[in-house]
Amino acid sequence: MDSAHKAEGRNRVQLIISAKSSGPGDFASKLAGLPREETQQRFTQALDSAAAEVFEMMVGTPLGPSDQATLPRVADYTAMIGLAGDLCGVLSFRCSMGSAARIAGKMLGTDENTSAECIRDALGEVCNMVAGSFKAQLSDLAEHCMLSVPTVVSGKDYQLYPLVDGLRIQVSKTFEGALIWMTLDLHSS
Amino acid sequence: MNALRILIVDDSAVMRKIVDRSLRQAGLEIQEVFEASNGVEALARMQQTRVDLILSDINMPAMDGLELVRQLQGVENAKGVPIVMITTEAGEAHVVQALSSGARGYIRKPFNSDQIKERIIPLLQG
Repeated sequence: MDSAHKAEGRNRVQLIISAKSSGPGDFASKLAGLPREETQQRFTQALDSAAAEVFEMMVGTPLGPSDQATLPRVADYTAMIGLAGDLCGVLSFRCSMGSAARIAGKMLGTDENTSAECIRDALGEVCNMVAGSFKAQLSDLAEHCMLSVPTVVSGKDYQLYPLVDGLRIQVSKTFEGALIWMTLDLHSS
Repeated sequence: MNALRILIVDDSAVMRKIVDRSLRQAGLEIQEVFEASNGVEALARMQQTRVDLILSDINMPAMDGLELVRQLQGVENAKGVPIVMITTEAGEAHVVQALSSGARGYIRKPFNSDQIKERIIPLLQG
């Protein structure tokens, strides 16, 4: 994807997402009235089914279960997309180099080697669609939550610092037996 | 239905390929597929080419899909050509905005070939 950015080497990547609200704040108000556990459960289910939908329909491979609770510090590829409005934060998708290449190959319908550019494009689109599907599954959110352009980071020697201070939703799954992770880091307000 | 000439507009090359493949899987007979990575490229293509169907993303650099639909109203080659938006933005406001700008259909990503068939074939027949 043209707008995907790549960072390799000893880089520190910081993400700053605007907390400016874009709508009447109905969703945020409803959210504020819910117990944290309920919100966590609701968002986890939405993220889980968003990922399942994207992989079944666009990659052509259903995701498998995973009992891996720990998020890796870094992965070979990390795709990220920002959310702003009633829900503010960062959605990230992480996977190994092998999984990234397989995902891109399956999306393109080819077993041949896919270029690094195609891999970044494919992962950016996966992240974009998971975010879009996540929004669509939470009533009221789709109207007042905007998505940024996706960013894709490759390489292992970096650290991510999402500048958010709220809820963290984490879903790990297996894609063709290999672990993949989706994380939603949210602002508290 | 005659073999179709189709314009696919999306800033993701991977997504353009997926849309192309889904159209073929949906059973559409395709004569030629044109690609554009944003609204500006699509508009330039439509100044020179006549197509039977335009499928466009909304969020794109240079010119987004909604502006493209508006600008196509003034392009002779685009008169009567159905435009379908394919996008991750599924909010009602986006759908209303797209349809009121002149789009004839709306498909949310992710999608499958059955949805493509269901939304696109009636537009081409009618």
